Order: sequence, then structure tokens, then C-alpha cells
Amino acid sequence: MSELVTIFLGLVLINNFILVRFLGLCPFFGVSKQLGSAISMGIAVTFVMAIASLATWLISNYILLPLDIEYMQIVIYILVIATLVQIIELFIKKTNLGLYFSFGIYLPLITTNCAVLGITLINATENYSLSGSIVAALGGGLGFTLALAMMSGIREKLELANTPKSMKGLPIAFITAALLGLAFLGFGGIV
Amino acid sequence: MGKFGKEFAKGIIITNPVFVLVLGLCPTLAISTSIDNALGMTLAVLIVLLGSNIIIAAIRNYVPNITRIPIFIVIIATLVTVVNLIFHAYLPATYEALGIYLPLVVVNCIILGRAEAFASKHTVAQSIADALGMTVGFMLALLMISFIRQVLGTGSLSVFGVDLFTLPVLGEHPIAIFILPYGAFIVIGLLMGLFRRTGVMKE
Amino acid sequence: MPANKKFWKQAFPIVLLTIVVAVCVSLLSYIDSITREKISAQEDEAVKALITDIFPDMSRYEFKNDIYTVYSDDTKLGYAFLATGKGYGGDISILVGLSDETTVKGIKIVSQTETPGLGSRITESFFTDQFKGVAINNVALSRDGGKIDAITGSTISSSAVVNAVRDTAMEKVKQLEGSD
Repeated sequence: MSELVTIFLGLVLINNFILVRFLGLCPFFGVSKQLGSAISMGIAVTFVMAIASLATWLISNYILLPLDIEYMQIVIYILVIATLVQIIELFIKKTNLGLYFSFGIYLPLITTNCAVLGITLINATENYSLSGSIVAALGGGLGFTLALAMMSGIREKLELANTPKSMKGLPIAFITAALLGLAFLGFGGIV
Repeated sequence: MGKFGKEFAKGIIITNPVFVLVLGLCPTLAISTSIDNALGMTLAVLIVLLGSNIIIAAIRNYVPNITRIPIFIVIIATLVTVVNLIFHAYLPATYEALGIYLPLVVVNCIILGRAEAFASKHTVAQSIADALGMTVGFMLALLMISFIRQVLGTGSLSVFGVDLFTLPVLGEHPIAIFILPYGAFIVIGLLMGLFRRTGVMKE
Repeated sequence: MPANKKFWKQAFPIVLLTIVVAVCVSLLSYIDSITREKISAQEDEAVKALITDIFPDMSRYEFKNDIYTVYSDDTKLGYAFLATGKGYGGDISILVGLSDETTVKGIKIVSQTETPGLGSRITESFFTDQFKGVAINNVALSRDGGKIDAITGSTISSSAVVNAVRDTAMEKVKQLEGSD
């Protein structure tokens, strides 16, 4: 149990997906201008990460390893993720059209989100158990959502601040991300 | 030559993948801790981008719309796996240094982005030019960031094991933050701001 | 005729996708077969290099139950095994060499992600050399009564290594004595 807690906390705070591992940056800088959409995005990504982790763990341990075709890992993982995102997209379209439109193009883009493929690869390299993988996905996703939410809150304020013209928009956002990450350094001693 | 040259040059400054299009950030920031790593990643991206652009441009007239994305993904994933295996076997040091960011080239927005936006709509020759231009732009951006991070963060510069120089003050007390992930954000933010200020690259 | 063409038009995407996948899988399978040997040879080389760092006279080794028994021809030089410590930035992987069931021959940090310039200095010889010839029971930080000085400013990294080495060594020795 404590091992799971360690994995979880480690991914949320210490090896935060965005601020430390650089996974999931594209939506980070694109979506995060409004707190509401940032959080929805975060939850959507976490959900995909969790299911993808489950699916890829099963495939890895019951198909890839026994058949000794580990080299198919990258191809199969990304196809699984792409399919998952398609299914989820159809599901949202059928059940909540408003949500579907608010996500816009960012929903299919979850497929190319480094965080999703990233967590499946991390699970494989660190050789986590099934529960470890899912906990890792939830932790990574939560960290991602956390960073996204904080970033959007700060950026809302930044829009009103007196930033030098050339730094407006992305450049100052990057510096903010650096400062956010530095703040997270303080969590280092927890585990 | 004119058209080829134009597509090529475009990728370097006007539509620089990192500073202007802001694509492919994940590997850029993670890998930019040293010049060696930067060059290793560039090689990987070159092979995959060139390969995928060529193949996709070649089959662009035969691919029906529905299966477009899955086919692109399979092709790119295959190329990345090939590079992964070859690096693991023949360039082990680079393989270790790149870590999970090497397989992550699969979802590197630059590659899928160019496949969708360019290779599927232009000839093979033009796609080659585009791939080369984008890779050079990517390489320059990566080298710039890595150079700054490595020099300020470790106080010295060494390429492929050859020590080039060690700075007098920084050598003893390097500014460690630059080698850490946060430093990457700082460097790219400042560089972007600098490029916009001097008008070299627009938004 | 028209029915045939319509069927073909609908089936084509799937057929193309299948062909592409088949080509890719064959390519990958081929590349895998030519690189596979090199890759596993590499891993053996890496382990051998690490063990030789601790036991320079090693000529061969045997691996059983996660413990390497190191030999120089027919003379047993000692044992080696991997220990993992929970460092500041993640897991620290350490190769521990024992000259016998009670003394450490030396250690080598295999992988770590500690803070550069601080905790990452556990890889340097001024730290690792301290372990040479120390009795397993004395593998502890000096502030805890042992023989190893921590690195200034990196107590977490230092104690992670120290604890991992001592605890795993005791575990492995028990394992060895149990199997005799």
C-alpha cells in the first residue's frame, strides 16, 4: 500500500508531469487560459491515461511479453490510445454535445498528448504492477490537472498585467511555468 | 531549385517549429541538457521526419480519407520503433541519454503535424525539402537551448566526450537551475521573447 | 459490375490499412531480429564492466538467485548484487561488491536522478571509496556511528545509498548462508 502512495505522490508533486517531465505541454500552453476548460481538459486526460494504462498493461503482459514481440510496443500502444480517444470522442458527442464543442479540437489531440503515451511507457519501464500502473496514471493525471489549473489561474491574471510586448503570451507563460516548478521543488522531501 | 530552397528555408526561421509553431516541445525541453543529447535527438527526428514525409507524400493520392490518420500513425510509429531499435543496438549511449523521450517522438507534434499539413498535400521532393528545413530549424533551436543550459548549468562544454572549454567562474559554481527542468522553461521563454523583440521571429 | 465496384470502394480503405500494417510489422520483425543479439550482448557487457570496476581481477562470474558470484579463474573473489535505494529524486541503483560474507569490497552507483552538483555526487569516488573494506555492520553514516561520511548538503541521497547497501547486503548474506 505504501508503495502505491509513494508512486502516486511522486508523480503528482515531485515528478510532476508538466513541470518536471515536460509531458503534456501542448495543451498546457494552448488551453490554459480559463480555469474551467483547464480542469475539464485535465480530467479528460487523466481518464484517458487511466484507461490506456489498464489496456496497455494487459496487452503488454498477456500478449507482447509471452509472444516475445516487445518491439511492437510503440506501434500497438499508440494505436490503442488513438482508438480509445476515438471511442471517448464518440461517447461524449452522443451524450453531451455541449461538452464536445467546448473541447473542440483539443479532444482528438489527446491522442498526441505526450502524457498519455508517456505514462504507458513509464509503466512499462518501471515495471509497475497493474494497480501500480493505474495509480501512476491517476497520479500523473492529477499532477497534470493541478499544473494546468494553477497555470490557467495565473494566466488569467497575467492577461491584465503590464508585460513587455515581446514577452506577452507564450514567453511569460514559460517563465511562469519555471517558477511554478521551482515552488514544487519544496515537496521533494515528502517521500 | 527555387521552390525546393524556399520550402527548406521556411522551416529554419519563418516557421521555426520550436520558436514559432511551438510544436514538439516535450522532447525539446527534456533533452536540452547537453549538446550531445541535442544532436542525438536531432538525428532521431531527422530520420523519422524525413522517412514519414517521403512515404506519406508518395502514397498521398492512394490513401482514402477515413483511414488517413491511422495509416499515418502506423507509419510514424514503425519508423520510431526502427530508430529506437537501431539506437539501442548501435548507439547505446545516445539511447540511454534520450530515455523515454526517444519513443515519444511518435507523438511529437512536428512529425504528425507536417504529415497532415504538408506531406499529404505536396510532392515527394517538396516534402523532402520541408522535412530537412524543419529538422534544421529544430536542430538550431535545440542547440541554442542546450548550449545555454549546458554552459550555464555545468560551467563547461563537452561534445561527444571532447572537453571544449571550462569557464573560469562558472566552472566552479555552475548555476544549477539551468540544468534542472525549470531552467529549460526559463531559457526558452527568454529566447522566444528575444526573438520577438528583435523581430527575427514573429508570433 | 456496379455491385462489385461498390464493394471494392468500401473495402479498399481496410485493405490498404491491412497492407500497410503488414508491411510495417514485417519491417519491424526484421529489424528486431538483426538488433536483438547486439542489444542483449550490450546488457551483458554493461554488467561485466560494472563488476570489473569493483573486482578488477574478475575473469568470469555466475549468476543465481539475483546474486553474482565473482571468480578469477577458479578462485572465488566474492559476490556482487544490485541494491536499490530511495533517493531524493527517485530510485538509486547500486552495484554492491562483497569480498566475503562480512566485508564490502566496494560499490558502484549504476543509475541515479539526484540533484546535479549535490546528491548526484554520490557517484564520485570520494564518496564511494569510503565503502571499500568496511564491515557490513559498519555501513552507516558517521553521525549514526558508522564509517561513511555523508556528502554535505545531500544527507538524503547519502543515507539512501548507505541504507540500501547495508540492508541489501545483510539480506543477501542471509540468503547465501541459508542456501549453503
